[in-house]
Amino acid sequence: MTGIFLFSEDPVLAKQLLTPALALKGALDQPITALALDGATAADLAALGADTVLLLQSASGWVEGLGDAVTDLVRAATVVLVGGTQRGKHLAAHVAAKLDAGLTTDAKSLAIEDGKLVTSRILYAGLAVGVEELAFPAVATIPPRSYPTPEAAQTPGSVETVAVTDDIRVTVTGTTPTESSGVDISLANKLVSVGRGFRSKDDLPLAEGLAAKLKGEVSCTRGIAEDEYWLPIERYIGISGQTVKPDLYLAVGLSGQVQHMVGARESKIIVAINSDERAPIFEAADYGIVGDLYAVLPLLTAAITS
Amino acid sequence: MPKFLVLYKWTLDEQDIKIKSDDLSLDASRAKGKISDFDRNAIEEAARIVEAKGGSVDVLTYGSAAVKQSLKDVLSRGADKAYWIADASAETADAVVTAKVLAAAIRKIGPYDVILTGEGSSDQFNQQTAPRVAALLGLPCLSLVHKLDVEAGTVSVTRKLAVCTEQATVSGPVVVSVLSDINKPRIPGLKQVLGAAKKPNEEIALGSLGVSPADLQPKAVRRSAKGFVMTRKNVVFKDANPADSVAKLVSSLVSEGLF
Amino acid sequence: MSDDKFDAIVVGAGPAGSACAYTLAKEGRSVLLLERGNSAGAKNVSGGRLYTYALELVEPGLYERAPLQRKIVREQVMLLNERGATTVDYFDPSFGADVPQSYSVIRADLDEWFAGEAEAQGAMVAPGILVDDLIEEGGRIVGIRTGDDEMRADVVVAADGVNSLLGQKAGLFPDAKPQAVGVGVKETIELPDDVISARFGVKDDEGAARVAIGCTEGISGGGFLYTNKSSLSLGIVFNPQQAGRQQRHIQDIFQDFKMHPAIQALIDGGTSIEYGAHLVPEIGFHGVPKQLSREGLVVVGDAAQFGINTGVIIRGMDLAIVSGLAAARAIVAAKQPADVGALYRQQLEELLLIANQKAYQNFHGIFDIPRIFREYPNLANDAMRFLFRVDGKTPKPMLKGLLETVKRNVSFGRLAADGWKLYRHL
Ligand SMILES: Cc1cc2nc3c(=O)[nH]c(=O)nc-3n(C[C@H](O)[C@H](O)[C@H](O)COP(=O)(O)OP(=O)(O)OC[C@H]3O[C@@H](n4cnc5c(N)ncnc54)[C@H](O)[C@@H]3O)c2cc1C
Ligand SMILES: Cc1cc2nc3c(=O)[nH]c(=O)nc-3n(C[C@H](O)[C@H](O)[C@H](O)COP(=O)(O)OP(=O)(O)OC[C@H]3O[C@@H](n4cnc5c(N)ncnc54)[C@H](O)[C@@H]3O)c2cc1C
Ligand SMILES: Nc1ncnc2c1ncn2[C@@H]1O[C@H](COP(=O)(O)O)[C@@H](O)[C@H]1O
Repeated sequence: MTGIFLFSEDPVLAKQLLTPALALKGALDQPITALALDGATAADLAALGADTVLLLQSASGWVEGLGDAVTDLVRAATVVLVGGTQRGKHLAAHVAAKLDAGLTTDAKSLAIEDGKLVTSRILYAGLAVGVEELAFPAVATIPPRSYPTPEAAQTPGSVETVAVTDDIRVTVTGTTPTESSGVDISLANKLVSVGRGFRSKDDLPLAEGLAAKLKGEVSCTRGIAEDEYWLPIERYIGISGQTVKPDLYLAVGLSGQVQHMVGARESKIIVAINSDERAPIFEAADYGIVGDLYAVLPLLTAAITS
Repeated sequence: MPKFLVLYKWTLDEQDIKIKSDDLSLDASRAKGKISDFDRNAIEEAARIVEAKGGSVDVLTYGSAAVKQSLKDVLSRGADKAYWIADASAETADAVVTAKVLAAAIRKIGPYDVILTGEGSSDQFNQQTAPRVAALLGLPCLSLVHKLDVEAGTVSVTRKLAVCTEQATVSGPVVVSVLSDINKPRIPGLKQVLGAAKKPNEEIALGSLGVSPADLQPKAVRRSAKGFVMTRKNVVFKDANPADSVAKLVSSLVSEGLF
Repeated sequence: MSDDKFDAIVVGAGPAGSACAYTLAKEGRSVLLLERGNSAGAKNVSGGRLYTYALELVEPGLYERAPLQRKIVREQVMLLNERGATTVDYFDPSFGADVPQSYSVIRADLDEWFAGEAEAQGAMVAPGILVDDLIEEGGRIVGIRTGDDEMRADVVVAADGVNSLLGQKAGLFPDAKPQAVGVGVKETIELPDDVISARFGVKDDEGAARVAIGCTEGISGGGFLYTNKSSLSLGIVFNPQQAGRQQRHIQDIFQDFKMHPAIQALIDGGTSIEYGAHLVPEIGFHGVPKQLSREGLVVVGDAAQFGINTGVIIRGMDLAIVSGLAAARAIVAAKQPADVGALYRQQLEELLLIANQKAYQNFHGIFDIPRIFREYPNLANDAMRFLFRVDGKTPKPMLKGLLETVKRNVSFGRLAADGWKLYRHL
């Protein structure tokens, strides 16, 4: 049997994957098989339109180690959709290699055209959008929040449990959850985004104060999170970070390199505050102030209440 | 003593790529080549471990004829020997072809204890090559590594994911992709640049790898690549007195209905 | 070739350094050419008109391999005031005949090419290397320092550009005096080839070089415009001190220049692909330090302040190349490092570089006449306006009108004085 297969270890994302999967089902007239790691998600997926759900019984639960197991289960696939988390992308690449299949990372769109999967994705870190066509079997990873969760289906699918073997060559000796600030910047509709223009961590209150006034959150560029560790990784925006679409994106002391902007450019209004009038951020912005953030931010924060 | 192989890609510097205003096509005519940013971290990491504990660092790249330009640069960054595959197929290669060619080459020049890659290439950022090469070679793969230790055949890493950090170990050969924050790549000094000229490099003929013409056909075929242009209002305030600019900004944002 | 000592280390892969390294390598000397930029030309800002004779001196026919843009057959001078522009256009096809007199060039390409040629001749080229000091032993320069690395050579050639660090380290001259250097800004504006050819009335391989006076708001300086194949090099060079006194930002003066209707019409529809600012040696021969060498060190190009800026001609690249060549020939001829200095002087004389510089030596004096940059351009345009304006009213008698026009701009006393000054400087 051929079919459309989907997997994500993230339950929310797994359900979102059903939406494009159902569209593909319409186009290909092939059944949807979803892979899940826990019973609850398996049940949800069956209820939301997966014809078959395979509940994987993995001892370790280490997603990256499930490559061979998943490959065996999706051998017959026409299209495989994998949730574009970091673990998911790793798994997908392994599966694609074993299937000798093409894989579109972070597909922005999916379509079936004359027996091929046509996808679009970002190239050159956001400078361009590339369209590629993949012969079947084709694999694509889908970023979180690209699609809504579908309505419940009339006829729920069936759930089967399957035992799978993990990659025992890798021993995971410990995991420490990143202490989440409980903030999901992708949900905020106003963001104050800080860059290297800030001289020290002690200056962040300037941005936090403004964000508070705006009832928004503080996000940042990669360097602030990954090199300086001033803010948690979950707060940085860009090609290798988060993608956000707030109503207001206030870029403060960040240059607006494409690798960053690709994560923010779908914002409704972009405002730039930068001391260098030649900084690329001004081309990417609706409004901008050329000036020292240390002078501008306090004024702006004050101006907003009044 | 660990034998490292670092896979590096010679990419166009995206900063020099212009978007043609008429048809949004990409103009790379003025674009220079560079070692894909994160691959510098991979080379640096291998070099540091070898400098501390002994061992060797080979590097391998697959690209168009232009890859030859990368040799001096890559060898000045701590590599001992560079292998390069220059073939026109690289122009259209997708991750499938790339991984097949690299895996075939590794079978020929290997084995290695640790095969390193960057997190993702600056141009494609597929984040596929490491897991693919590992899968093709039947090796385990540890991705997104920001701390790497190699001790008597055991590789211990800390992986950094958005949700957690994870410690993992593997004994025996492994493919590892590194994050950019694992180290700060060196800026080669004069002695290193001059030394590079004397280090060995070896071209590997694609024909010698037993890769079939079919294997060189990409499974993901590029249809088009169009520049992404954002049309924004680009209203910039630069009054001498910042208060004036701020006032103008606020009223603009009000008129946008933001508050 | 040993790697711990070279016959010569050339610091700076601009035209001067590459010309020097090229010649030395060709003569079989071991040369190390160091450049701080990640590639030669990466760090350079320059207009782009190169006088071909310089490359011909290095090696006949060399220019045919160079990445040249358009051969210049139109020389244009533009006198601007807020309202209008009076342009003198000298068309001379012979400038483009057999070995064309000058070409527009894109520096990034030219420098990369030239360094490549030097490498092909056997020079060891190391980009991305910033030289930060000289090694001195017993009063002689014996090598250079970069970071923790040292490298030795019989002779170090300082081709490191205007306000040369190495020249200063060697104590050859105090760092560039503000009045001795101009500051230049340049923007490269992309336009289709045919549009450029049409706007400047040239064939596709021909080009125009234009200078503009009166675009610097009375500040000593001038503008330039060169036609490349599919782009224009537009810029201004002026005196930073005066600008400072008038509290004018380089960018603003340049912006106003760009916005002038006469300039706008030429760049209209173009997209800016590059922008930069850089210093230029301004005052010609007077700026050239008395001492151009020490045992083990010679200074070439902008580093030696070779430069001619007449207001209608900006020259530096050609003098840089010639001086690089002179240094190379001196090093080749020298029995021992101690002889290089004298031989270098001699070569400069033979290659007419000193003569060239002297010929223009007083030219910069003209720039002391402040009115050159506002009143006279204005006068020219007013006069034109008077001559060409037709509004149906009875025109003023020709002479009377013209004299009034003059008076409106400068007093006759000033005019006479300036005329005398002009005469003296020429
Ligand atoms: C493959 C790859 C992937 C990447 N992924 C990402 C990503 O996902 N996200 C990301 O953010 N980056 C990413 N980067 C890095 C990205 O290319 C940029 O280097 C980074 O975004 C720059 O961060 P920044 O703007 O904070 O710092 P800078 O580029 O240094 O900008 C600082 C800005 O602050 C301004 N400034 C300084 N002082 C002041 C002041 N007092 N007042 C006002 N303004 C001031 C300066 O003018 C400057 O424009 C990636 C790079 C690569 C190669
Ligand atoms: C706006 C402008 C317009 C001009 N227009 C013209 C024109 O139309 N025609 C013309 O002939 N001339 C023109 N000039 C002048 C011309 O650019 C210079 O005279 C010429 O570039 C001098 O060449 P050079 O090799 O001596 O110095 P440069 O070209 O300045 O080269 C010096 C090199 O040394 C490198 N360097 C410096 N310090 C170090 C160090 N410590 N270690 C390693 N490397 C170092 C620099 O990176 C640079 O590559 C113009 C200049 C400007 C600024
Ligand atoms: N053509 C190539 N030659 C050598 N290494 C490569 C090549 N393409 C990708 N890589 C390596 O694989 C990593 C990830 O690339 P990618 O899968 O394209 O994101 C890069 O950082 C390189 O280390």
